[in-house]
Amino acid sequence: MLIEVFGSGCARCQTLEKNAQQALAQLGGEHAVVKVSDYAAMAARGILSTPALAIDGQLRFQGKVASAAEILELLKV
Amino acid sequence: MPELECCPRPVPKPSGPSSWRRGGWLLPALPAWFAVYHFLEPVANRLTTRVFGLDLASRAGSALAFFLYDSPKVLLLLSLVVLGVTFMQTFITAEHTRDVLADRAGAWGNLLAALFGIFTPFCSCSAIPLFIGFVRVGVPLGVTFSYLVAAPMVNEVALFMLLGMFGWKIAAIYAGTGVAIAFVAGWVLGRLKMERHLEPWVMEIPFQAQAATRTRMATSDRLAAAVQGVRDIVGKVWPYLLAGIAVGAFIHGYVPQDLLARFMGKGAWWSVPLAVLVGVPLYSNAAGVIPIVQALLGKGAALGTTLAFMMAVIGLSLPETIILRKVLKPRLIAVFIGVVAAGIMLVGYLFNLIL
Repeated sequence: MLIEVFGSGCARCQTLEKNAQQALAQLGGEHAVVKVSDYAAMAARGILSTPALAIDGQLRFQGKVASAAEILELLKV
Repeated sequence: MPELECCPRPVPKPSGPSSWRRGGWLLPALPAWFAVYHFLEPVANRLTTRVFGLDLASRAGSALAFFLYDSPKVLLLLSLVVLGVTFMQTFITAEHTRDVLADRAGAWGNLLAALFGIFTPFCSCSAIPLFIGFVRVGVPLGVTFSYLVAAPMVNEVALFMLLGMFGWKIAAIYAGTGVAIAFVAGWVLGRLKMERHLEPWVMEIPFQAQAATRTRMATSDRLAAAVQGVRDIVGKVWPYLLAGIAVGAFIHGYVPQDLLARFMGKGAWWSVPLAVLVGVPLYSNAAGVIPIVQALLGKGAALGTTLAFMMAVIGLSLPETIILRKVLKPRLIAVFIGVVAAGIMLVGYLFNLIL
């Protein structure tokens, strides 16, 4: 699975990235977290508020720092 | 299980610890909060006199008592305010705001944008995606600016903290004037037809609007988000807060009354622009300014001047301006800062005049 974390580098975005990595570590297997900080890329995906998170190309939430447990829930579905 | 259809079995209650952890602990925590809040001042005064052996009338004594009283008080107040505000914000998202404001030309759009700016969560690191997202779906530029001015300037946390510390009049003045500035500034910027002063890439890059998703959340999830918000925000701003309270304590104990009245009183016409000039480069979290405001007002600074200082500190910040430079050409940035600063000064003079 591919997880994208969108954010410009603020503290909230870094926390989300860390949580996503934790969630993936718990899930195990071959996965990657990619940090996207390019504003044009965010616009192309229609992101209004950061941090945002996409799983396999699909935007799941924005403007929120989800916990590792919440991200894990999203990954399992 | 056919019997379920006629008479549904009671849903098994979640076991004790889980409902406790899902927000149940907030119920006993609230009265405890009020009890602690009530006893802060006598405890701070006692600590100052008995433990530190200082006279409350002395400079060091009054500064210390101010710090000992204000630190827990402001932290407690902030926690409660952030809890309430974050809970409320789980109902409002940037996408909804955008959809309400899209294609809403004219003054009505500016007013709505300014009002939405109060309550929606806003972090300056989100400013660019938000700006592009608004402009590209047809929110008029002036309306977008009304929102961008109001969102940081009328800070919902600062608003409720003012309410808790100074009462509803000052809180209403703060919210009312902030919305007025955002409304007028956005309207003026809209009339100036500044669209060509956007960086070209803003309108050229591929863009895809995301539909607003109405997320259904359980109340316990909203509460959990609110508690998380308290952890995030209070965990982040407490150093600013203590620094602000320390500055406030110093002003309270050591700055002579007549000095401040002379420099920040109604008589000094230049104090308002000076307050704005000093306030803009100062960057503080909204909550950190409140103790300074409290000390300034207590020492005879005029309300208008103090308000102008506070709005300049939290409403016009250097980091946000630098971020906005990515989408706005220098001319538009300059006009943006100029219009907002003028608005803040006008508010300062107005309140020095009428109060």
